[in-house]
Amino acid sequence: MSAALASRRHRVADLTEAIELCYAKGWTDGLPVVPPTPDRVEAMLAAARLRPDHEVTYVAHRAVSVTAEKVAINAVMAGCRPEYMPVVVAAVEGIGDPRWSYHGPGTSTAGAGVLIIVNGPVAKELDINAGDNLFGPGWRSNLTIGRAVRLVMRNVCGSRPGTLDRGTLGHPGKLSYVIAENEAESPWPPLHVERGFRPDQSAVTVVAAAGPRQFYNQLSNTAEGVLTTLADDMRISGNVGQPHYVVVLAGEHMLTIAGDGWTKAMIRDFLFEHTQNSYAHLRRTHLLAGDVQPGDETRRRPLVESPDDILVVAAGGRAGAFSCYIPGWAGRRASQAVTKEVTR
Amino acid sequence: MMEILDPTVEATIQPVKFVPRPDSLSGKRVGLVDNTKLNSDRLLQKIGDILVADYGAAEARMWRKHNASVPAHEEIVEELRASCDVMVAGIGD
Repeated sequence: MSAALASRRHRVADLTEAIELCYAKGWTDGLPVVPPTPDRVEAMLAAARLRPDHEVTYVAHRAVSVTAEKVAINAVMAGCRPEYMPVVVAAVEGIGDPRWSYHGPGTSTAGAGVLIIVNGPVAKELDINAGDNLFGPGWRSNLTIGRAVRLVMRNVCGSRPGTLDRGTLGHPGKLSYVIAENEAESPWPPLHVERGFRPDQSAVTVVAAAGPRQFYNQLSNTAEGVLTTLADDMRISGNVGQPHYVVVLAGEHMLTIAGDGWTKAMIRDFLFEHTQNSYAHLRRTHLLAGDVQPGDETRRRPLVESPDDILVVAAGGRAGAFSCYIPGWAGRRASQAVTKEVTR
Repeated sequence: MMEILDPTVEATIQPVKFVPRPDSLSGKRVGLVDNTKLNSDRLLQKIGDILVADYGAAEARMWRKHNASVPAHEEIVEELRASCDVMVAGIGD
């Protein structure tokens, strides 16, 4: 199988020189990488049962065919174990999907990360964290799977900071931004089931996304109380026209909200209704162009087009009256969340 | 001694032919591609007006992309190809 690997080979004296060569070539995200030796790359491909020349996705905006071999090389560099490879592959399929629309989130000054939400049995099998310190640090799978996707974007799709990745600020999630849903303790159907998969299937949902914004409510013991706090914070968070929001409800809030009998659909409807701004407010705060017009004080603009554009995920630690929301990047026509099955 | 594999794509060489720049805009049909960002249409219209008034272009017509983050869609590319001699694409922010 070694002969089938088509990538150019570089000879180095030892491990240290290999790591430094990866820096010198501009292949890393700033952290050291695991040198992608042929045997490591082959193990990665074998774990996903993929041929090196298999096309994982074609990114039309970059005219780039992303092969399994390149995904595997970057996954090795990111520090992935071979068994993570099918998850990395599914996420790369997701960002190559025309609905995700690579060019915008891969390039934009608004600095999108690739939020990757993992559902189904694979999350537990790979120890993908759904609990304490949800966004890190501490879990190899969470940190290396997202890092592999970002390295593919950098090394295969050309999204290098300063050239084709022009994020004004970026955010820490651009290093890795992987979470699992806490399906074991959640009272609700998991995200991938809501998006058309069976519970026994594994899937990743990729969302072009800003950073997570934590909110706090330890005074209310009702669903409406907790979600009122959330809605008040979310309402002014967007840049008008977000395609999605992801709402991540951690242990205490999850139990409070579910204890009142609220479903995910009820949460979405409540948030949709209570996150609307008046046009007057949006014009006064210069989020919409133009002077305040007659009727603008009462005319309301929803945060997203539909309640279904709010993705609700149960995840985060059991202790602490905190949850978060994550604004999606840009607008609905610019990029949409995509869910892909993890095939093994 | 060890060997490592290159994580980047080796670009395949593709010949790209550019249309020669016209010596003059006199009588040329100008296509303007609005990328939908705020004021991009105003900026492009102003440029188009100047090209007609000061450089003798025959006309300046505008087409609109679906949104700023995607390439121009095939329909407008075809129309531009059929009905324009030169094009101006711009950004509004």
